Amino acid sequence: MQANLTLRLLSVAALAGCIVLSGCAKPKTRYGDAGAVETVTNQFGSTDLQMLAEQMSQSMLSEAPVISSGNLPIVTIQEVKNKTSEYIDTRTITNRMRATLQKSRRVRFAADEADMKKQISELQRQQSEYYKQEQSAQIGQMVGAGFRLSGEISSIVKETKDVKDVYYQLFLSLTNVQTGIEEWSDTKDIRKTTQR
Amino acid sequence: MKPLTLIVTLFAALALSACGTKKGFEKPGFAFGCPIGDQRISSMSDLVKAKTVREGGKSPDVEVEEVRCTTTGELLKIDVGVYNDESDVERLMYKFRWIDAEGMRAAEEESWKPLLMYGNSRQIVTTVAPNPKARDFRFIIMGQD
Repeated sequence: MQANLTLRLLSVAALAGCIVLSGCAKPKTRYGDAGAVETVTNQFGSTDLQMLAEQMSQSMLSEAPVISSGNLPIVTIQEVKNKTSEYIDTRTITNRMRATLQKSRRVRFAADEADMKKQISELQRQQSEYYKQEQSAQIGQMVGAGFRLSGEISSIVKETKDVKDVYYQLFLSLTNVQTGIEEWSDTKDIRKTTQR
Repeated sequence: MKPLTLIVTLFAALALSACGTKKGFEKPGFAFGCPIGDQRISSMSDLVKAKTVREGGKSPDVEVEEVRCTTTGELLKIDVGVYNDESDVERLMYKFRWIDAEGMRAAEEESWKPLLMYGNSRQIVTTVAPNPKARDFRFIIMGQD
């Protein structure tokens, strides 16, 4: 009876000790380098996104004649299809490319399909009686893009008991909207292997 | 001196002086096409030393062999030759830092890009400046592990 009580008391003390200890072990949060090479898993990650966007922007700036000629072409960004087996927000790739290309001052971007609703909404709002009409943006003055940027990202995944190999390929192309002629295209590849 | 000998000598001198001026085809302030400002760069190894920065605790065991530059449109285009002279695979990261004419940062810091180099292999890392303001650069490398 006495031994049973001692055992119970010890169990309660051990449990309390665990709770106290786990309460003291605070998770440590620190800021990291957003541009660091990230290899937490072999799924599509921040390094892949940054690398693909930077390399594709560089390729467009140097290899696409319509851009390198300095004529400030107007481009619209279409959907980059995700044909991989995982969720990838491909808009983050094109958004990063758009920012890089815009800063290069070699390209201008027209409202794309995703932005069109917001653009029309703002135009219509400015037509209301609340705005000075002489200072309002006029309907029918939007400029269409001369080129459209589109593409797809695909992957090949091979897995054994010990090894997982993932290969990503991003394909992008720049097409003349009027003629349908593809002015530039490029592919960028990434291979990631994880060994258990 | 006979007139014929004089003419031949004169032509030879002119030809040699022409060759002499052609040798200096590089613009002042540039070496191997790369901007160097007022630095004294007399060889490729000087240029590599001036343009390469090794960061982080563990420097990758690779050699930057050459740096060559040209322009595409108004943008600086760069080729950097890297050589892994060891027999082991080397994993490193690299990025370019862009500097404007006043020595200020010309663009946001790039993200690190991983590079795998097989043993005894060479690779050319190519890039293009992100904007026309970027007039100079540094090639930054760091060990990945």
